[in-house]
Amino acid sequence: MKKLVLALVALAALSSAVAQQTRLRVFVGGQQRPDVMRKIFDLYQSRNPGVRVDIETGGATSDQQQQYLTTVLASRDPSIDVILVDVIRPAQYQASRWADTLDKYLPGVTRENLLKQYLPAYAKADVVNGQLVALPAFADAQFLYYRKDLLEKYGFKPPTTWDEAIKQAQTILAGEKNPNLNGIGFMGNISEGTVCSFLLPIWAAGGDVTDANNRLILTEAQAKDSLQFWLDLMDKHKVSPNNMAEKAQDIIRQEMQQGRWVFGTLFAYAWNRFQNDADSQVKGKIGVVPLPKFEGGRSASCLGGWQWTISDFSRNKAQAYKLVRFLSSPEVSKILAIDASNLPVFPSLYKDPDVLKANPWFADALPIVQNARSRPVHPRYTEIADVMRKGLNAVLARTKTPEAAAKEIVSGLQAIYGK
Amino acid sequence: MARPQARYRRSFGDLSERALAFWLLLPAALLLGFIALYPVLRLFYTSLFTLQLTVSPDANFLGLGNYGQALHDPRFWNAVKNTLLIVLITVPGALLVGLGLAMLANLPFRVKWPVRLGLLLPWALPLVFVGLIFRWFFDSQYGVVNDLLVRLGGERLLWVTNPDLAFWAICLTLIWKTSSFVALILLAGLQTIPKELYEAAKVDGASRWQEFWRVTLPLLTPAILVAMIFRTIAAFQTFDVPYAMTGGGPGNATETLAMYVRVQSIENLNFGYGSALAVLMFLLSMAVTLVYLRYVRGADE
Repeated sequence: MKKLVLALVALAALSSAVAQQTRLRVFVGGQQRPDVMRKIFDLYQSRNPGVRVDIETGGATSDQQQQYLTTVLASRDPSIDVILVDVIRPAQYQASRWADTLDKYLPGVTRENLLKQYLPAYAKADVVNGQLVALPAFADAQFLYYRKDLLEKYGFKPPTTWDEAIKQAQTILAGEKNPNLNGIGFMGNISEGTVCSFLLPIWAAGGDVTDANNRLILTEAQAKDSLQFWLDLMDKHKVSPNNMAEKAQDIIRQEMQQGRWVFGTLFAYAWNRFQNDADSQVKGKIGVVPLPKFEGGRSASCLGGWQWTISDFSRNKAQAYKLVRFLSSPEVSKILAIDASNLPVFPSLYKDPDVLKANPWFADALPIVQNARSRPVHPRYTEIADVMRKGLNAVLARTKTPEAAAKEIVSGLQAIYGK
Repeated sequence: MARPQARYRRSFGDLSERALAFWLLLPAALLLGFIALYPVLRLFYTSLFTLQLTVSPDANFLGLGNYGQALHDPRFWNAVKNTLLIVLITVPGALLVGLGLAMLANLPFRVKWPVRLGLLLPWALPLVFVGLIFRWFFDSQYGVVNDLLVRLGGERLLWVTNPDLAFWAICLTLIWKTSSFVALILLAGLQTIPKELYEAAKVDGASRWQEFWRVTLPLLTPAILVAMIFRTIAAFQTFDVPYAMTGGGPGNATETLAMYVRVQSIENLNFGYGSALAVLMFLLSMAVTLVYLRYVRGADE
C-alpha cells in the first residue's frame, strides 16, 4: 500500500513537472531561414527554462505558406501558437479573427511607445482597425540591382530615372552583342511579385491605389500608363525579352546570377545569393540602388517584410506573447541582420558596425526602406492582388491591350472596395 | 449448395437474410456516408451561406444567392468553357492515342517489358510532376520543344504565354499523361478477345482493316466505354496540369473550373461562393456521368 501511494505521489510530481514545461509551436516559412530562427529559439529556451519552442516550416513562397495556414486556421486548429506572416496578411488575419489582439498584454508600455521604436511602415501595417495584431520581425523592400562592371565599362553612373536605365540598357546591349544578355528584369508571371511590378510605375509617377482613408483613387489612366510602361520595355525599347509574362522573381534572380541581366528589380534576399552562392557568376559585380523614378516623379519601392502574430486558437497565448516580444526585440533583429541578411526593423541597427560588417550595403538601404510604399492594406488583399497581377500578366502576354486591362483592373478594384 | 449456406446461417446466429445483409453492408455504408455523402451534403449546405473569412468569420444564410452570382460571373463561364474544351479535346485524344498504344502493346513482341514499361510510366507519374516537367519542355527560352522547332528551321513560340498555344500545350500534356491509363484498360480488353475470332476472319479472307472494324472494335466497346467514363469524370476535374503549367494564365485564359473553385475558397477564403461553384462543377460532371451510364445500360440490353 505504501509503495503504491509513493508511486502515485511520484507520478503526480512528474506530471506537474511536465505540465510546467510550456511547449510553443512556431510556424516559419521555408524561405525565412528556419535554420537561423532555430538558433534564436534555442537562445530563448536557454533563458526561459520552462519553455520549449518547436519550429514548423513549410511553403517557400508567401502564397504557399498562406494555403497551408488557411487549412490550419480555418479549422481552428490550436497546434500552432506563433506565426511569421507576410506584411500583406495582418488585415486579413484581423478580419478572420485568426490573430490574437496584443493590446491586452501591454504592461506599462503604451502601444505608441512600443511601436515608435520600429520603422513607421511596420507600426502602421500591424495595427488594423485600431487593434495591434502583430509585431515586426524583419524588413524588406524592392531594389534596383545592377551590373557594376558593365555600367563602369560604358562609363555610366547607376540610373536614377527609368529613362536613364532604359538608355543605359540599350547602349550596353548594343555594345556587348551577347545574345544571352538582357536589359531590365522584372516580375511578370502570375505571382505576388507581379503586384509590385504593377504598382511601381504608379508610385514612381506620384499616384497610389488608395488615399489616406483607404478609399480607392486609382484611375484607369494611371493603371494604363503602368501597364504600357512594362509592355514598352519589351516591344518599344527592346530592353526586356518578349517572354516576360513567364518570369517569376526567383527566375530573374537565377538568371541575373548567371550574368544574364544588366538590371533587375528584386527584393533584398537576392543580394546574399549573388555574393555567396557557389554558382554565382556575378560575385562582387552587383550594385544596389533605389528603384528609378520618372522625370518629376518620386523614387518608390515596394514594401515587404515579415511579422510575428499569435494564433487566436493558441492555448498558450500569454507565453506566446512573451516569445513574440523577444522575437521582435532589437537583439533578435540584429541576429537576423547578421546571420540571415534580413533588413532590420529598427532604424538604429542600419548604423550598427556589426551589422554593416556583414552587409555593407545596409548603410544606404535605410532611406529606401523608409520610403517604400505598402501594397493596399485590405482584408480582401488576395483578391486585389489577383486583379492586378492577372491584368499585368495578360498585357505582357499580349492577350489584352493596356486600355482593356486597365479598365478591368479598375472595375475589379471597385467591386472589392465598393465604389 | 444447401450445405454451406446452412453453415453460414449457423455461424451468424439466427439472423434472417435481410438482417444479415444489413449488418454486412453497414460498415461500407458508414464509410461511404462519412467520406462521400457527408462532405457533399456539407458542401451544398455551405453554398447556401455568405461566408467569406476575409470579410467576417460569421456565416449568414443567403439561399441560392451564390448560385445566382455564379451564373452572372464571366470568370465562371470562362472556366466552364475551358473545362468543357479540355474534356472535348483530351478525352477523344487520349482514346485515340491510347488505342494505338494498346494495339502496339498487344502485338506478340518477344520482349514485352519495354512496351509495357512505356505504357505504365506516364500513368505512374504524379499529375503535378507532369505539369512541372512539361512547363519546362514548353518554356520559350530553355524548352526542348522550342529547341526542336528552331533546329527544324521554325520560330520560337511563346507556348506558355500565348493563350491558344498555352491551351494546346496543356491539352497535349494531358493526352500524353492520360492515354497510358486508357491504353491499360484497352489492353486488358484486347486480351479478352478470343484468338479464334481472328483466325476465323483470316479464313474468311478479311483484310487487316476489316479485322479491326468487324472484330476488334465491337468487342472492345465495353472497355472503351469504361475508359471514357473514367477519363471524362477526371477531365472535368482537371486541375494539376494547368495549375503547374500556366497558373491559369495568361490572365485567366487557361483557368479550369477546379482552379477557380480553389482560388475562391482557398485564396480568397470565400467558402460560400467557392462551395456553390464546387456544387455546380459536381452537377456538371454528374450529368455527363448519367448520360454515359444510360448509354452503357442501353448497350448491355
